[in-house]
Amino acid sequence: MTNAIPSFDTPGLADLLDASSQEQLDALAFGVIGFDADNVVQRYNAVESQAAGLSPQRVIGEPLFTNVAPCMNNFMVAQRFEDAAEQNSELDDTIDYVLTLRMRPIKVKLRLLASAGGAHRYVLVQRR
Amino acid sequence: MLPDDSAEQLRAEHEALIQFLYLAPVGLVQASLDGEIAMINPISAQLLMPLSPDGCLTNLFAALEGVAPGLRLQCAQYPRAQGMVFEGLHIHLRGAENGKRAPQILSLTLLKLDEARIMAVIQDVTAEVRRERQLRQSDAWLNAILTRISDYALVSIDRLGRIVDWNESIARVTGFGEHVIGSPYSVFYPPGAMTPEHLLDRLREADRNGWSLDEGLRLRADASQFWASALIAPLPDREAFGIDDPQAPAYALILRDISDKRAASEKRRQAAFCDHLTGLANRRAFFEAAELELERAAHTPRLLALVLFDADMFKNVNDRYGHPAGDRVLVDLADALRDSFRIVDTVARLGGEEFAVLLPSTGEEEALAGAERLRALVATRLVASDAGEIAYTVSAGVAVLAPSAGGERDAAAGIDDLIKRADQALYLAKGRGRNCVASWSSGLSDNEDIPKRSRNAG
Repeated sequence: MTNAIPSFDTPGLADLLDASSQEQLDALAFGVIGFDADNVVQRYNAVESQAAGLSPQRVIGEPLFTNVAPCMNNFMVAQRFEDAAEQNSELDDTIDYVLTLRMRPIKVKLRLLASAGGAHRYVLVQRR
Repeated sequence: MLPDDSAEQLRAEHEALIQFLYLAPVGLVQASLDGEIAMINPISAQLLMPLSPDGCLTNLFAALEGVAPGLRLQCAQYPRAQGMVFEGLHIHLRGAENGKRAPQILSLTLLKLDEARIMAVIQDVTAEVRRERQLRQSDAWLNAILTRISDYALVSIDRLGRIVDWNESIARVTGFGEHVIGSPYSVFYPPGAMTPEHLLDRLREADRNGWSLDEGLRLRADASQFWASALIAPLPDREAFGIDDPQAPAYALILRDISDKRAASEKRRQAAFCDHLTGLANRRAFFEAAELELERAAHTPRLLALVLFDADMFKNVNDRYGHPAGDRVLVDLADALRDSFRIVDTVARLGGEEFAVLLPSTGEEEALAGAERLRALVATRLVASDAGEIAYTVSAGVAVLAPSAGGERDAAAGIDDLIKRADQALYLAKGRGRNCVASWSSGLSDNEDIPKRSRNAG
């Protein structure tokens, strides 16, 4: 186990995030949204909170694709998680996307992470 | 400086306002008159990202160019300083490629705020449009019944669509005499407006729905034409006329001359179903016609051809002569298409310089001949511009859905597959040096994906 702070494209990042404390998540240089098998947001870090202009208490406990990030509710993002869950397979893919942070179109890279079974799932956000 | 609790209150209000916009269940975009996006909410990104050809959302018109060409022009041509440029414009998407629950139809409203800004409202209206289409049919039916009928022809037809007897009303409205008995009811249609298959489709639709209604040009005995509404209804007690007699009356055809109402109904139709620049059918009209045609073919197998046309090296025309001249070339191509195909064919502009013609009951040979005729015609035409006359050419790809010997359809069952095949044929034609027509064959694999943008380069 290394003590280096993980970067956006570190392999096997899902396990590291699972094991991270809130302070460790907040120290990351990219946005982290963690959610469960029912799409309910469980983890939300400082970078993401700052970029979106929403405090964690407005987001945690809310359904991700309808109440937090409706912009991802299409075949490019939401359906990828759905398909992975349906096929019981692992998901680790990075795509170019545009988020509407504070109503500005912001070009980002999204890394979509889901373990097989889909109990722990993450959308990671890095500006490009 | 604000006291602490007042600053905190402002921050909380700001956050609530941001969340309100994040959660708004419709897409909202503020942009410049050129479409450069200044503000955009999440639902807009949800709906626009799958359409955006370059994967970014910097320009609203660029994001929609592939499915709704000409928005930039329409916005630029809007004459007033502020106001509604258009409201609830329906945009048809090619849905099947993008997953099962992907939207099929978007509604777009464009409001000009001032000389610098526009506001757009975007909604997924797929489900609403389906319901509305059913209502529209019922409306047409009520309208046909409730509108004061000044004169009508009442025609009895048999189960194969042949005219069974003659009466005074037929003579009054159409001028046809008794000799019309035994002819199919398509004698009332101008040449090219009816196929033998469509003739039977209407009877089947009347059986299924209780009625079948359409509006369009009809023919009098002296070859003059009039705008008519035609209602076909099954006769309620037709069994009484004899089940075994194929010439017994089975349906009533009511033909009304509504020439005076044509202007109003045409205007309504144009607003919803016509391409703004060329006046051809738009994507919405094309996909509705294709859906209906496939539905009919699923019931009674028959041939169906699709030709995709694409103006060659069109970018060069725009670059060299300017966009207004490029638009004139598109209008000229649209005129040539309209004149070359039958009334029963659907001639549509799908986007940019891409056009489609759907030919019911038409095989490969005929469709190829039609496409070749158009290609040759275009090669002889010149379009005037400020910088001299413009010569241009088109390439075409032809694909045909044919029922196999067993009556089963082949693998390409949907309109998306048919378009894909015609697209592959078009790509082949471009590869052969353009100004050329090619037909799809099974050698061009169904699975081989041609990058959509690659042939747009020329």
